[in-house]
Amino acid sequence: MEVLPPTVAESLRSLIYQQRALAYVLVDHSLVLVRAGGYLEHYGLMKLELFEPACSQMDFLEGLLPLAETPFLIRSMEMPSGRVADVHFFADCDGVWILLLDVTTEHGEARLVQQKAYDMTLLSEREARLIEQLEAANRALAESREDLLRTHRRLDRELQDAAHYVQSILPPPFSEPFVADWRFVPSSELGGDAFGYHWVDADHFALFLLDVCGHGVGAAMLSMVVANMLRSKGLANTNFRAPDEVLTALNRVYQMEDHNDLYFSIWYGVYRPSERRLKYAAAGHHPAILVAGEPADRGRIETLHARGPSLGIAPTATYTCEEHLVPSPSRLFVFSDGTFEVGKPDGTMLDFAEFLDVLAAPVAAGTSELDRLLDFVRGMHGPGSLEDDFSIVKLAL
Amino acid sequence: MLQKKICMLGAFGVGKTSLVRRFVDTIFSDNYLTTVGVKLDKKTLAVGAETVNLILWDIAGEDDTSAVRTTYLRGSAGYLLVADGTRASTLDVACSIHSRAEAEIGRVPFMLLVNKCDLRSEWAIPESRLDELAALGWTIRPTSAKTGESVEAAFQEFAERAVR
Repeated sequence: MEVLPPTVAESLRSLIYQQRALAYVLVDHSLVLVRAGGYLEHYGLMKLELFEPACSQMDFLEGLLPLAETPFLIRSMEMPSGRVADVHFFADCDGVWILLLDVTTEHGEARLVQQKAYDMTLLSEREARLIEQLEAANRALAESREDLLRTHRRLDRELQDAAHYVQSILPPPFSEPFVADWRFVPSSELGGDAFGYHWVDADHFALFLLDVCGHGVGAAMLSMVVANMLRSKGLANTNFRAPDEVLTALNRVYQMEDHNDLYFSIWYGVYRPSERRLKYAAAGHHPAILVAGEPADRGRIETLHARGPSLGIAPTATYTCEEHLVPSPSRLFVFSDGTFEVGKPDGTMLDFAEFLDVLAAPVAAGTSELDRLLDFVRGMHGPGSLEDDFSIVKLAL
Repeated sequence: MLQKKICMLGAFGVGKTSLVRRFVDTIFSDNYLTTVGVKLDKKTLAVGAETVNLILWDIAGEDDTSAVRTTYLRGSAGYLLVADGTRASTLDVACSIHSRAEAEIGRVPFMLLVNKCDLRSEWAIPESRLDELAALGWTIRPTSAKTGESVEAAFQEFAERAVR
């Protein structure tokens, strides 16, 4: 080792001794403290007793002596006083020297830098974990969404099948001995409207249209069941030529508390061609409209009123039968409220008089007032589906 | 009085210092303060009929740039490996330190503390990995320096093994 000039060596010694608060101890080969000096109090090593076991006086020596290698360094050890020291060990013939040099300032600086680095690392690890959890949640969500879509598509197919069934059991239009025609536009796949017509016998032609409250599967099922019941004349002890009897019987069978709180309005009429006589009754339903006169001319409106509460509400309700002689020629229109209770884009409702005006307007040869009415209603409503089922039946008598 | 040197080893931020604080002073702080170098603590325990001074060496955690100085383990009666249950990589670090520690000082008692069991729902260390280590003879204890759960019991159990 280069021999330092005495002044430099002395300056260095002074520098280390004072600025690094040098403290030292010597532990002999029997692990007894034999010498101690320097700034021992600086490190909290007070009351060291010479010629006593060293390890019981300085905990940090436990297990380290005798030295396995020399020199040996423990960096940045926090001492009992709270100061931090680099602890240097080296052996000579007298034993093991242990020097303590204060590095508290450097330790503090290193700690700040390391703290920042670890905080950043822990933060980015946490971020990575959160991203991973988020991605896992997204994957689960996507799978769940796919399941939902599959279920939705299946339900959609089933709804379409049901809608096809509803359409398939509606009676076909015919033109002899008189014209029967209709338009049916459900507001969703399944609505609550149903209608039908059939010959009760050779001189009695029955026509009905019903509107179950609400839409969807429940309403559609009830409307189909009632329509099938009427079509098959499935009400016991009921004269299907007598509209009041039919409604009274239906009301007994379809009370809302037994049918998922569903009730419905209905118009039921029986036309007798031989007498041109129409008997009809209604339950909570608006009047049917008779337009008398040649189709090519503006027709005369006759309103076919009948009273009675909706079916399913009052078990003891009774219904009255009305009669009307049908002028020749005439067109009878039976319809649901969805044909005229139509909201306009400006928030107002279609005026019923406007609706009647369209029905009564002259009909050009080769055209149908039903198409004209549907176009008119759609035009009034504006873009998008109608809010309610559009159902209308016409008999040209 | 019997005196035993025990080292706390593991990756940075797993809670070594917090476990010592909880065991020695029965306190916990949510503020994470990194350890640089070595910090010593002492706790006196009764092990059977004997009174034992545990000299706890809380050694700075290992990270990507600085490995634990295994020479500091010399003279240890055993060591506690600490992993953070919410950070799977800390178990790898603990396993790695264990290999190096065994190479440095030979076979001495050790125990794995899987810390932060108060956040068990967020644990990222698979149970299967802990089962594998247990099958190799590792003693594994879940702990929470935050709530104190199993801390004292784990240190006591380990002290008994170190003294035996």
